[in-house]
Amino acid sequence: MNPHDPQLRRKNIRLALILSGFALLVLITSFPFWQNIFQILGEAAK
Amino acid sequence: MSHTSTLHDVPHHHANPTGWRRWLFSTNHKDIGTLYLLFALAMLFMGGASAMLIRAELFQPGIQLLDPDLYNNLVTNHALLMIFGSVMPAAAGLANWMIPLMIGAPDMALPRMNNLSFWILPAAGTMLILSFVVPFFPGGGSQINTGWTLYPPLSIQVGMSMDFLIFAIHLLGISSVLASINIIVTLLNMRAPGMTLMKMPIFCWTWLVTAFLLILVVPVLAGGVTMLLFDRHFGTSFFDAAGGGDPVLFQHLFWFFGHPEVYVLLLPSIGVLSHVIPTFARKPLFGYKSMVGAMIAVGTIGMVVWAHHQYTIGMSLGAVSYFMIGTIIISIPVGLMIFNFIATMWRGAMSFETPMLFAVAIILMFTFGGLSGVMLAVVPADMQYHDSMFVVAHFHYVLMPGAVFGLFAGVFYWLPKWTGHMYDERLGKIFFWINVTGFNLTFFPQHFLGLAGMPRRIIDYNVMFTEFNVISSIGAMIFGFSHLLLLYIVIKTIRGGEPAPSRVWEGARGLEWEVASPPPFHTWETPPPIRQEQSA
Repeated sequence: MNPHDPQLRRKNIRLALILSGFALLVLITSFPFWQNIFQILGEAAK
Repeated sequence: MSHTSTLHDVPHHHANPTGWRRWLFSTNHKDIGTLYLLFALAMLFMGGASAMLIRAELFQPGIQLLDPDLYNNLVTNHALLMIFGSVMPAAAGLANWMIPLMIGAPDMALPRMNNLSFWILPAAGTMLILSFVVPFFPGGGSQINTGWTLYPPLSIQVGMSMDFLIFAIHLLGISSVLASINIIVTLLNMRAPGMTLMKMPIFCWTWLVTAFLLILVVPVLAGGVTMLLFDRHFGTSFFDAAGGGDPVLFQHLFWFFGHPEVYVLLLPSIGVLSHVIPTFARKPLFGYKSMVGAMIAVGTIGMVVWAHHQYTIGMSLGAVSYFMIGTIIISIPVGLMIFNFIATMWRGAMSFETPMLFAVAIILMFTFGGLSGVMLAVVPADMQYHDSMFVVAHFHYVLMPGAVFGLFAGVFYWLPKWTGHMYDERLGKIFFWINVTGFNLTFFPQHFLGLAGMPRRIIDYNVMFTEFNVISSIGAMIFGFSHLLLLYIVIKTIRGGEPAPSRVWEGARGLEWEVASPPPFHTWETPPPIRQEQSA
């Protein structure tokens, strides 16, 4: 196995990006974070 | 001309880096594994020192050495240093060292990200220590007296040290998630041809489950502490009841991370046992497939039982029933793992070198901690035990044998492979007996203290609790100082000793024992053939 094989590197980076996206999705969606931020912004705008 | 790189045009394959550059710019999994382990060892001593101060204070009733704020600060600091600073990095160190060797990969899949994952840690550790130290400087604000759970509203009220701590948790979380992504990609994409998932060593399986758990739960903690930061500085009221928020929401977010974190700490050590026990019983691991199934079950069920830490907040009967039953169900796959270990030892040609002594101690003591966990899972009983020293005894019986002793077993098991020298077996056994005796002296009496009503996280106590506290504090000193012997053994082994063969232990099986001890800087650049006896 050649660790510098471009095909393997692309495959590794693709999977890493998918997992990073998944972690980001968990961060954003698993709690009512944005809801309260938008509420504050909305009230500030008024 | 083709721009495709090959092994021949990559310079570091010809010249191994030396000096400080070797460590700072390292992309080599073995060097990064060593860095993780050294960092964990340093943090173990710092976290241990804070624990010994706590126990010195509790040697007698009354307030002797510390003031209540400093006591609470030490309690917070001890937990965070041990969990985030020591156990998790030590497990990551073992993963870095062993996973590529075990699966026949030349390195981790993303070596530069591996370097980043580690080098975030010293920055995070510095922030963590600053959170403890900052209150002692003028204008530093009050000390962190929340415990590692950081419950609001207290965590909203304390001084700027909490901001350092929140930032430290962010950095530690980034490091953990990056390391987890790297481990998953390595395990899924870099296995030697012929090594299917179901031929993978159990240590790798435990890390695959652990890494997925970390990716699922660490971002939730990051979100929780970010909201805490917003409540502290930006006028939000996520957790502030005065502004319409709910402090219990933070508890849910924290324990959604905090409970799976227990399995994050435990599973890598279960992986170590799955190698140590077959080696010294000279038998293959009993029930490989059931072990894999059990750890996936533990990971899955462990994700959905977090609120058993919060029985006393006033949940509905339906909710507490669900969390109680779910928690008790976890004991089934955990029990299955323990029975598999016992079945592996059954009629084996056992010998009791230091790693095996730790393995047997883990089975006995972790089972004990698990049983007190079943007691705590029962809602009406937990209403009595909650926030008592019984809980302290329980989780130390789970985490010390289940996580830390497992890491010690791993260090003794693989130290000859890493250094090329055999450790001093006599000293290893002395360390084991002092360590285990000290541990039991420290924590066993705390069961009785808790059942008799002594609350935890309190600097003073009623004189009726004195005797057991004296025993516990003496045990803690023996336990704490015994780790100096571990340090001596490790340094002595690094500096010299009987040369270790490539297959250090007679009963050891697996690819990691096919390479020399210590392994060359680059290993498995040509994938090894997978024979049946080498696989799990």
